[in-house]
Amino acid sequence: MTSDILLLEKNMHINVFGLNHNTAPIEIREKLYCSESDVPVILKKLKDWGLYESVVISTCNRTEIYFCSDDSNNSEESIKKIDAFLMEHFGVALDWLKNYTYRFCDEEAYRHLFLVASGLDSMVIGEPQILGQVKDAYRMATFHNTTGFFLDKAFHKTFNVAKRIRTETRIGYNPLSISSMAIELSKKIFGELNRKKILVIGAGEMCEIALKYFKKEGLTGIFITNRTFQHAQKLAEDITGIPCPLQDIPDLLTKVDMVLSSTGSEKPIIDKELVVSIMKKRKNRPLFFIDIAMPRDIDPEVNHIENVYLYDIDDLKGLSQQHLSDRLKESEKAHTIIEEEVVKFSHWLEQLEKNPLITHIIDVVEETRSNELKRMMQKMKYVDEETLRNMDLLTRSIVNKLIHRHISLIRQNGSPSLLEIMKQLFKFEEENEKEMDSGNEGK
Amino acid sequence: MNIYFFYISLFFYLLSTACYLLFLTMNRNIIEKFGHYSLFSGFCIHFLATLVRYFNAGYTPITNIYESLSFFSLCIAGFFLYLKRIYRIEIIGCIILPILSVLLIWASTFPTEIRPLPPVLKSYWLPIHTIFSFVGNAIFFISFFISLLYLVVERGIKKKKFPSIATRFPSLETLDLINYRCMSYGFPFLTVGIITGSIWASVAWGSYWSWDPKETWSLVTWIVYAILIHNRLAIGWRGRKTAYMMIIGFFFILITFLGVNFFAGGLHSYI
Repeated sequence: MTSDILLLEKNMHINVFGLNHNTAPIEIREKLYCSESDVPVILKKLKDWGLYESVVISTCNRTEIYFCSDDSNNSEESIKKIDAFLMEHFGVALDWLKNYTYRFCDEEAYRHLFLVASGLDSMVIGEPQILGQVKDAYRMATFHNTTGFFLDKAFHKTFNVAKRIRTETRIGYNPLSISSMAIELSKKIFGELNRKKILVIGAGEMCEIALKYFKKEGLTGIFITNRTFQHAQKLAEDITGIPCPLQDIPDLLTKVDMVLSSTGSEKPIIDKELVVSIMKKRKNRPLFFIDIAMPRDIDPEVNHIENVYLYDIDDLKGLSQQHLSDRLKESEKAHTIIEEEVVKFSHWLEQLEKNPLITHIIDVVEETRSNELKRMMQKMKYVDEETLRNMDLLTRSIVNKLIHRHISLIRQNGSPSLLEIMKQLFKFEEENEKEMDSGNEGK
Repeated sequence: MNIYFFYISLFFYLLSTACYLLFLTMNRNIIEKFGHYSLFSGFCIHFLATLVRYFNAGYTPITNIYESLSFFSLCIAGFFLYLKRIYRIEIIGCIILPILSVLLIWASTFPTEIRPLPPVLKSYWLPIHTIFSFVGNAIFFISFFISLLYLVVERGIKKKKFPSIATRFPSLETLDLINYRCMSYGFPFLTVGIITGSIWASVAWGSYWSWDPKETWSLVTWIVYAILIHNRLAIGWRGRKTAYMMIIGFFFILITFLGVNFFAGGLHSYI
């Protein structure tokens, strides 16, 4: 307990060490990819070396290790240790690590974390999955007890920053992939898609990918046709659709709302006359064609018919380009937000380091919290990991919120009487204080 | 008394307008919520103002320009709140509320004091005829903006170009459905308005139909909407064609409702 307080007394540094798609080619990233079973091993190793807090983020585009170091255990040394470990664990050469990795400390480190979590450092800028991956990595670390006060704070801050960027900028607003754009456009026309039906012409890979996206929207009917009926049947089985023969197309067109087409046919399969006659039968209910085939399956003239909308692969690609440039514009706003938050966070850290009472309070409370949680866990017999994680997060956030008031009171109003009350309240003993003093003198 | 309520409600409408304009630039739900509650408060106080005026004056307060515009705005606010409950059309508040505020400010520039009712208007038909006509007109007023928005969104999808704001517009199907609802609610109100008007005319002027400008134009308006409904139900006109017809219909409403009174005169010139 006392050693922990002394530890917090020294200046703590948040570090990141890692590589991503910008610094390392895929061959190297593959080598250093940490699978889910690797991560606990690494976390444990780092802990054994005396890195009190660490989190490992590993995705297909990046592998990063976040850790805390103090002045005695300086980051250079830690990085050497990490180097050695990585060389051993993954069997890579030292100059590889030197050439392809980056190391950031303090301000740069948490700026980097903010950038990563909000998708600004991703290959596809603004993509949302990375935030989930960062959250998973953090949960994994808390599960193995390798996070402490600083990284907890840094990661919670990161999640806030990422959320702020999601709501205040439009960085993740417009989709980029062909499938999600097809969904987005369908929603522009039909609103919710949960009562809609789709006809798929062609059973190729493109169709399959897009269909998986559509399926998530809860369509009520998926009809699949293909020149080779067996392929249609197979895809239909995979995706619980209804296989239909090609000659049913005119009939199906009167039933469905969307048509997704991707065949290898040289000539258009659906021409204008067909659609005109079908629109009469449909009583002009809107019909949306998505033609992702090359050469095109659907006569482009179809787009001129009223209540018929046609997007071909070029339209979708053009739209994707436009969305990408929108995202780049929005990323400037996001960078400003990040700078703001970086300043706030480093200010917070600075203030924290100055006050031993605050660190004491944090420790006491954390100890109580983890003990209570452990007791609870022993009582409850059937707890799955998910609940465990959620309870851990919940208690953390309650505790943080509760002590936040005390801490800000101490910061704002340092009057002796208040400090005295706080000391009594949290049993901050003279002995501790003496040790603190000697620690300070020692510096 | 009622005029104070009126100004308080105007204040809330303006507040709501500000919120919706802010909502347009900053996509935050909390702003929209605030705007919604301001609008709702504005509507309630406005309703109260109308009620108080009814008791003070002793007649349905839809007899001069101030009263008409005020009541018309009340109907628009009410119907918009009703639509908002069913569909997710917050963004349309950014169009409706500024116009609502302008209408009310315009109304307040006309004389607002309560004057004795002209003898010809003293009738049980006054509330029935006016309320039906006003509600009908208000519904078509909203459908006019829905149609304009439909055309903008539809054009964007056809031309494959989207202004950045377009991501927040309702879907085409929703807009078309609202148009259909407006049509099926507005038309009966309009019809009853015309029928009660003609009954009242037979009592007041001695003849059911005297081809007065107001009567003529309201008949033309009725025919336009009747054609629209027939085409929708029988030939399946929907989407853009409905939207165009709704816009044309609204111009006839404008002529009947305001144009005739301001420019043509005739028997029906009370305001």
